[in-house]
Amino acid sequence: MARTEQQSTERYGGRWFWRYASPAAFFPLAGRIERLCWAVAAVLGVLGLYLGLFRAPVDAQQGEVYRVIFIHVPAAWMAMIIYLAMAFWSLLGLWLGTRLSFMMSRALAPTGALMTLIALWTGAFWGRPTWGTYWVWDAKLTSFLILFFLYVGYIALAEAFDDVRKGDRASALIALVGAINVPIIYFAAVWWNSLHQGPSVVKQGGPSIAPIMLWAMLTMTFAFWAWCIAAAMHRVRSVIIERERNAVWMKPVVRGQAERERT
Amino acid sequence: MSLFAAAGAVFRREIRLFARRKSDWANPLMFFLIVCSLFPFAVGSEAERLRTIGIGVIFVGALLAAMLALPRLFDEDARDGSLELLLTSPEPLAGLILARVAALALALASALACVAPLFALFYALPAEVALTLAWAVLVAVPTLLLIGAIAAALLVSARGGAILTAVLVLPLAIPTLVFGAGAAQRVLYGESPLAELALQAAFLLLALALCPLAASAALKISTE
Repeated sequence: MARTEQQSTERYGGRWFWRYASPAAFFPLAGRIERLCWAVAAVLGVLGLYLGLFRAPVDAQQGEVYRVIFIHVPAAWMAMIIYLAMAFWSLLGLWLGTRLSFMMSRALAPTGALMTLIALWTGAFWGRPTWGTYWVWDAKLTSFLILFFLYVGYIALAEAFDDVRKGDRASALIALVGAINVPIIYFAAVWWNSLHQGPSVVKQGGPSIAPIMLWAMLTMTFAFWAWCIAAAMHRVRSVIIERERNAVWMKPVVRGQAERERT
Repeated sequence: MSLFAAAGAVFRREIRLFARRKSDWANPLMFFLIVCSLFPFAVGSEAERLRTIGIGVIFVGALLAAMLALPRLFDEDARDGSLELLLTSPEPLAGLILARVAALALALASALACVAPLFALFYALPAEVALTLAWAVLVAVPTLLLIGAIAAALLVSARGGAILTAVLVLPLAIPTLVFGAGAAQRVLYGESPLAELALQAAFLLLALALCPLAASAALKISTE
């Protein structure tokens, strides 16, 4: 035990953060991050929704319905960022062989899929009054649909193996293949749409955005960041408990949990 | 034995297998014929309507048929043990996988590309559209098989492999579908399809460069 610790210190130059590549060391840290992020998400979420729904002015062109962007846009950003994060942890896992990287990757996937679904769903509710239809085969919408399929494929593949390690590595490879393909698919969708002359065009930004709208949007974005990190941390802790349940360091954790539930 | 000799031997073995057991490529072909025949029953037989959907139906049908042939790449060899021999070969695995995909592509893509123009005529499409469509199918099917080789390699030993392969691979085949079908649409509108065909060929080259490497990594993961 002491020898391996010393070895790892030598190998990684004793940097403190490498310590957290170990699930045992990361587990309590993840718990602290999770609690912090839940709190931040709750505060900023309430504040952002208040600013967005009550304080921001009515949009001159779209009326009240534009307010869905305070949910829609942050969810869409998170959907893309989480896929990149997933691909990053997958690459790290395949490269360094660190178990925690795969766990992070798998913990992120359901949150990313959920964000994609929220972006699509709120987009449809926004599109009905604004464009007159729930769905258009616009390049952006189509690529998000494909992104959702990529998330679902990743999750399905990860669950398809009895051997956890095999599922980890297989799904990591598919996450990387998907990450390379996402820009290509987006490019193809743009080209395809220009050929077919889609029924409507997504206008970016609009004329000019009121400062209070921008503040509401920023607050909601940080709330979504915090919520996603908290959800991922909660899930990665569950994954760690599931996989390391027979480890020695896990005994007091599981026992403490059981006692807390009893009282 | 050099890589080229080894890859050549793998290629010749596959071609011989296709020649002796024709169901490997004939069944996906039959599937393609039946799928393309079903659509007129569903949408009606007016020439104008058939012309509108024809290119898309034929193209998607060809991709689905190629999809069905993917388990043929590794599953059987995993069962009878010859996959182990492939894995223990001193030659780079990516080259040997490329040889197998090339053999399957030669058998399947040429068969599908021969039948596609026939159906283009059934769908009331002009002859020049039919030829462009045949070429586009000839390029699209190998692209799909190359991408599919990654998924097929990953899922050699997994539960529900065939259906999951489709879920993983079909979204990634969208670019070649867009440009292949787009090229035929261009000809239908009386325009030049060269830009779309060039981009579709570019995707094939990209897949040719990257997919065998990814597939060999995938095969090592799933058989370790």
